[in-house]
Amino acid sequence: MSMGHSSSRRASSQEQAEAARPDAGGTRLNRRAFFAVGGSLAAAGLLAACGGNTGRGDASTTSQPGTAAGGAGTSGAGTSGPAASGAGTGGSKPTLQQWYHQYGEEGTEAAVKRYAASYPNATVEVSWFPGDYESKAASALLTSSPPDVFEGANGPTIDQIQQGLVADLTDLLGDAKSDFNPAMLERMSYDGKVWGIPETIDMQLLVYRKSLLDKAGVKPPTSFEELRAAAKALTQGKQKGLFVGNDGGVGTLVGPSLWSVGEDYVTDGKVGFTPEQAGPALAGLHTLFTSGNLLLGAPTDWSDPSALTNGLCAMQWTGLWNFPQFQKALGDDFGVAAWPAFAAGAGKPSVPIGAYGSCVAAKGANVDAAKAFVKWLWVDNTADQLDFAQSYGFHLPSRESVAAKADKLKSGQAAEALKIFQTDGHAQTPMLWTSKSSTAMSDAATRIIKDGADAKAELAKVVATVEAELKRVTAK
Amino acid sequence: MTSAAAQRVRAPHLSGGGVRQPPLERAGAILRTVLLVLGALLFLIPFYLIIRTALATEPEIAELEFTLWPAKAQWQNFADVFSNSQVPFARALLNSVLVSVVQTVLTVVLAALAGYGLARIPYRYSGLVSGLVLATLMIPAAVTFVPTFVMVSSLGWVSSLRGLIIPGLFSALAVFLFRQQFSDFPRDLEEAGRIDGLGYFGVFWRIVVPNTGAVFAAIGAITFLASWNAFLWPLVIGQDPNSWTIQVALSAYTTSQNPNYSQLFAAATIATVPVLLLFVGLQRFIRQGYESTGSTG
Amino acid sequence: MSSAAAPAASRPWWRVLAGNQNRNLWFWAFVGPFFVGLLIFVYIPILWSLYLSFFDARNTVTPTDFVGLQNYATMLTDPNFLSSLGTFALFAVFIVPVTFVFSLGLALAINRTRWFQAFYRSAFFLPTACSYVVASLVWKMAIFNGLPSGLANTVLSWFGIGNIAWLSITDPPWYWLVLVTLRLWLQVGFYMILFLAGLQRIPPILYEAAAIDGAKPGWQTLRYITLPQLRATSAAVLVLLLINAFQAFDEFYNTLSSFGSYPPYARPPLVYLYFIAFGREQNLGQGSAGAIILAVLVGLVTILQLRFLRERDGARR
Repeated sequence: MSMGHSSSRRASSQEQAEAARPDAGGTRLNRRAFFAVGGSLAAAGLLAACGGNTGRGDASTTSQPGTAAGGAGTSGAGTSGPAASGAGTGGSKPTLQQWYHQYGEEGTEAAVKRYAASYPNATVEVSWFPGDYESKAASALLTSSPPDVFEGANGPTIDQIQQGLVADLTDLLGDAKSDFNPAMLERMSYDGKVWGIPETIDMQLLVYRKSLLDKAGVKPPTSFEELRAAAKALTQGKQKGLFVGNDGGVGTLVGPSLWSVGEDYVTDGKVGFTPEQAGPALAGLHTLFTSGNLLLGAPTDWSDPSALTNGLCAMQWTGLWNFPQFQKALGDDFGVAAWPAFAAGAGKPSVPIGAYGSCVAAKGANVDAAKAFVKWLWVDNTADQLDFAQSYGFHLPSRESVAAKADKLKSGQAAEALKIFQTDGHAQTPMLWTSKSSTAMSDAATRIIKDGADAKAELAKVVATVEAELKRVTAK
Repeated sequence: MTSAAAQRVRAPHLSGGGVRQPPLERAGAILRTVLLVLGALLFLIPFYLIIRTALATEPEIAELEFTLWPAKAQWQNFADVFSNSQVPFARALLNSVLVSVVQTVLTVVLAALAGYGLARIPYRYSGLVSGLVLATLMIPAAVTFVPTFVMVSSLGWVSSLRGLIIPGLFSALAVFLFRQQFSDFPRDLEEAGRIDGLGYFGVFWRIVVPNTGAVFAAIGAITFLASWNAFLWPLVIGQDPNSWTIQVALSAYTTSQNPNYSQLFAAATIATVPVLLLFVGLQRFIRQGYESTGSTG
Repeated sequence: MSSAAAPAASRPWWRVLAGNQNRNLWFWAFVGPFFVGLLIFVYIPILWSLYLSFFDARNTVTPTDFVGLQNYATMLTDPNFLSSLGTFALFAVFIVPVTFVFSLGLALAINRTRWFQAFYRSAFFLPTACSYVVASLVWKMAIFNGLPSGLANTVLSWFGIGNIAWLSITDPPWYWLVLVTLRLWLQVGFYMILFLAGLQRIPPILYEAAAIDGAKPGWQTLRYITLPQLRATSAAVLVLLLINAFQAFDEFYNTLSSFGSYPPYARPPLVYLYFIAFGREQNLGQGSAGAIILAVLVGLVTILQLRFLRERDGARR
């Protein structure tokens, strides 16, 4: 579950797909619109878009079904009336189950419950999952009563799509399609259809304490060698130089390592890496792992800001979502960087980006009502999207017009992070990268990074597994 | 021990067969006591750590130095556990209580009846039924969690109290223990009941049950403990957070995005202390229950 | 009993079914509820699983894609599944003898102690009330975390030994120390109780007789009286230890997994099966095949052990 692990946090990903973006390896996620300040459109239109927001501030999720007037199908949101499947009789609203993985930042849970409560056409009950969310969602999809709406790291898995467990959401986008971040939309598409609506975009990156680097006379690293040297110089007393997760980077750094030598998971539907090129990059992580300069066994993992803010380490691989907490704890004393190229000229610096995709279970009792809700929240309701993206943890709105309004992301370190996003952003694992491939890669990465196993031999085994998986999923 | 034994041989010459222990044996006893005391303290350390961490502040835990005891005990952490919206601890606690109590009562009732039937009611196929029951002893329930999930999910019981409780009710071990106990029950007493006109159920309810209370307490206590502490099945079946038990909630919170460690340990305290008290109170029965478990091998 | 002689044919069929003195009825009234439950929740699932194991059942419990024995072939040649069996074997090699020796030692020591017996017994028995989840929490976060403030690292620092990331590194495999001490703490009291009960069942007259025969108390009586008398208990303890080790899941899952992924080491069979069937792969076909294989393995081991014990039992008599 190599990437998956990382994905499980925010964007990770794991499973799935990028339907053949020919140049997936090198694509820059160029978000022209982002800084092109679209402020003028703003207020009026936005407020209109989220019409019936009277319920805001009331975070209650258990509002009773059937009380509100109006009933099914009155909002303009629904592409097809929610009444279609079972909400039928006289104005009673359908009840929808919506599942989220846990976002650690304070206030996020209350916020999504608030959004759900303000939806006029259905009673939406939100479930919030700390811990291993993806497995729970995956097995719930098989039952006769799956969650109507759920989020998946980078959308649903290819197996879920091929088994018909998730609904086709292509129609929900309408005119807004061109406004969505193309890379993320592409990532959640398969067979020409869209299977998940990108909620907000997450990015992982290297965050460091400026003051500690200055004191040690270290510059932000631009090659793996420099990174290793920096980690060494910054390890002082009980403070470690670098933290990349308690597993030594197995969950987070496989992608950046591949990209750091100019390779990728999958390219043109074929295995995108070679043991010869990628081997040394992963083997490099082993030297880091055994150097004594890596923080391991911390009480919180890489996705949490605590290791850096508590002074356990000087540099941490983490996510944009933590920036509000970094600002609060460290003020201006932190800087950002991409994962460096393996060596000058050998590859490129990179940051993984991904999005949770809002999906609809095909076997749910109210598929149409669920689709209407997803359209309302993640396509039309730009005000809530903006609130979600910048009021708690930091995320990038998937809609470029909304991103243009995310003022909090336009200053300080967040702005620097977004520059990196534009130049070095890489979609996480592609759609065709199945769970099995992911497990095989993560097992191999563990053996290479922790045990010091022969990187080329381990990766050769992964190549064999991935080839078989690619053959399996493309055969259908 | 060897040296103590050797010393014992010479002992009569030294002490003239008096009541006083020979010095080496006494040394052995002292050594044994010291080891036992140290071992017992070592075994209590984890309990101390749970409480210490539950009462500490977040920085005290994250610090680079070991905190022996928090500067100021944060009892507030216990209240915060229940106001933490990230993890539904209150609901999980309620689920755990419901599941454990119902499971204990039903398991005991079902197993006691079955055990009595198998021990005392002559029936042509009794041997076959016994065989089928005992055969399941050989395959621990944990090993068949995938099959059981498939079954329970197709009944639509995923994420429900039914799904949590019912599949675990059919413990062949409990039946076996009851059968054992009832087989040893004095037949004279039962015959006396029959003469008084009691039927099978009357004899069971009026005569056997009142005289085998300790067995019921023992089996009930170990069932309750096992149920309260169960993890794998509740993890598999509890997909919705509303159906989590306290163990699943603790496990989920451990791997959550930003666990608050003091709260986590406060929750662990809440999950452990009541059972611990119960355990101490019922220790005698639990010991008896385990002893009979052990003798079934 | 008197009516037992009556020819069955002369009675109406329902009387025959109900049995003599309604015994059949009573039998089923007592045993029926349990037995039906057992069929539904133990036997049917196993059969269903057997059925599923012949299908490509990814993401479904009602598959249509028959694949014959392929799932079995896949599982039995899957290096990860085989290594999970190896992990079990390794774990058993650690935990079985260690727990056995500790619990026996404790029982012997406590049995010979005259004062505070109840206190010692309770102190060692108390952890059995704790759940594996809570114990994992304490072991992972408070004792064996990788920080200098962890208890284990604090103790090491008194001896000038540097920080160890117990659960993160694989060389040396300190995670075994974490897992074994955890389980030892949790279960040693249980087996100690079994041994104490066994010790108390030994007739004192045996020791008196031995003393008269000149046996030296201590090692000799232990070797020639206590241990042989504990043979039945020891055998039971060994079987239970082995079966419990086979079912290892809770503490492995709670100390080593993170965000739904699990490292390829220290991955016992149930953990591996859990991630195949309920992880992101949701492969219930292979998961079922794996469950059947494990069930057969456990069944075989248990039968072999029982037979072995019975033979020894017979030999002893």
